[in-house]
Amino acid sequence: MHFLRNNVFLLIFAALLVLSFFADAYTQYLINLMLTYIVIAQGLNLILGFAGMFAFAHGAFMGIGAYTSALLVTKLNVPFLIAMPTAGIAAALVGCAIGIPAIRVSGLYLAMVTVGFSEILQWVLKHWKSLTGGPDGVIVPAPVFFGIEFRSDFHTFAIILVVTILMTLLAQGIIRSRLGRAFVAIRDSEIAAQCNGVNVARTKVFAFTISAFYAGIGGSLFSLTQHYINPENFNLYQTILQFCMVIVGGAASLVGLFIGAAILTWLPELLRNAQALQEIGYGLLLIVFVIFLPRGLAGFLIDKGILPREQYSPARFGWFSARRRAPEKATRS
Amino acid sequence: MEIAILLSVGISNGCLYGLVGLGLVLVYNAQGIPNFAHGELFMAGAFAAYTGNVLLGLPYGWSLLFAVVVAGAIGIIVELIAIRPISMHRSLGRASNQVAIVLATVGLMIVLKGLARIPWGDSVRNLPPAFMTETISIGGLYLSTQRLLIVAVTLVLVVAISLFFARTALGKTMRATSLNITGAKLIGINTGHVYSATWGLAAVCGGIAGMLAAPLIFVHPDMGTRMLLKGFAAACLGGFGSVSGVLVGGILMGIAEIFFGRYFATSMIDIFAPIIIIIVLLFRPQGLFGSRQALRV
Repeated sequence: MHFLRNNVFLLIFAALLVLSFFADAYTQYLINLMLTYIVIAQGLNLILGFAGMFAFAHGAFMGIGAYTSALLVTKLNVPFLIAMPTAGIAAALVGCAIGIPAIRVSGLYLAMVTVGFSEILQWVLKHWKSLTGGPDGVIVPAPVFFGIEFRSDFHTFAIILVVTILMTLLAQGIIRSRLGRAFVAIRDSEIAAQCNGVNVARTKVFAFTISAFYAGIGGSLFSLTQHYINPENFNLYQTILQFCMVIVGGAASLVGLFIGAAILTWLPELLRNAQALQEIGYGLLLIVFVIFLPRGLAGFLIDKGILPREQYSPARFGWFSARRRAPEKATRS
Repeated sequence: MEIAILLSVGISNGCLYGLVGLGLVLVYNAQGIPNFAHGELFMAGAFAAYTGNVLLGLPYGWSLLFAVVVAGAIGIIVELIAIRPISMHRSLGRASNQVAIVLATVGLMIVLKGLARIPWGDSVRNLPPAFMTETISIGGLYLSTQRLLIVAVTLVLVVAISLFFARTALGKTMRATSLNITGAKLIGINTGHVYSATWGLAAVCGGIAGMLAAPLIFVHPDMGTRMLLKGFAAACLGGFGSVSGVLVGGILMGIAEIFFGRYFATSMIDIFAPIIIIIVLLFRPQGLFGSRQALRV
């Protein structure tokens, strides 16, 4: 029982698996998209929620992953199983290359530098026509495993579910490791972390690299669910959508991501034909949660005692004011 | 000849960037945050002028005044609704406030964009220029009257704002609040009013830039984002500190951009601003004119 309480996400995955046997194609597609966003949001959560860094380039990292895997599959006929990790590694390398100079910039300036980077990537994707196809985008073929073509959404679901579980376990491993504690230490106070022997610069670059790796893998899965990608998929909106997921679900919470990703996958689908309403919806969610529920829905449910307290989840006043964290007991048993 | 024309275009564009950057600098000095919603205040100015002039049929001058009032009102309302509840939140420290406020401005950015999309839709609109004669010739050089107007208005506005901060009581309370908020509260300054005034003033700057730029670029709900980046680039070059610094930064940025686009690669004009932002913030975060500040623990 304790094990399940502390690993709620396993129940969620099991429920999704059962659900997908009864789901029609559209619901299946939404489940796939939601799992993809869970992978991406986990990366953003590591850098934003745990390391407390204001990186605004996650849409761009996701784009690098999606384009790497799509182009490897279409142009070089690389099997998807190899293209996906390669996409993650490509995004991680770019993330590392961006991270090394970007950590010179402190605090909120980092947001500007990363927004600038994502604009530049957007431009490259649109103008490097010989490679990326420009604004026309790339059509992604169905992956083939052992001679079987994984064409339907249910087949895709199988791949995505396995990857999502692996990535969730990896995220948990990272958070419970020395590196994860270093992230939290930097978020709470950079100077205190430095005094306690945390190599701040290296840890920040790690945060960038790992979160970009998640975004790259997620981008690769995204190309699989959409069957078609174009540069517009990876613009500033994409980044804001992911920010909404993390903030609505609850920053620095693993369970929160599932809630956030679920809400923000379904909401745009409800408002599919009204871009204006979508924008107002995201924006209002972000503002309302920042003002009234800065710890997101997960924080709210934890306060009500419905969900178990998570390791490193900031106490009372929210993730913004991590310094006022109350001491807490580890809940692992 | 060509250089003179490019220079005139560069300077007038640069004045627009400077105006947008000025609004960013005002909010930055008051609350220490980059205001991501500023591009949408620019867009609001353009749409208000368009609505006044084309849809309501007001005379041009009145529609510009209407745009200024609407933009300022939007700035104040936005501050009251979305920013005030966070900045006055007692349980948050100053640093954590700032993160929350930035997230709120990001939310505002897309809310305002969506709100503009409902009545005006996605189509591209056009505001006529301010003067009937579109170009005048000075010493054999043909200059656009709209661009001359931009330069003139910007210079007047920058001088007016400098005087406002140096001479008026409200300007002085704003400076006091940005220097030390606790001290300002202790001597009886209503910091909430100061923040409202700052946002209103910043929105007026953005709105004026929007209505001046509208005849040169198209009026569209998405017009703000690109301008936001250019304004940021101007503010970074100017060092986020002084009113005149950001204007100089904007003009430098405008001139460099137009020459780069003409003699190097036209399509790269779009990413000139992000490149400037990255280079300046990485290698000279205090801007061209600022001095490095010590880190406070």
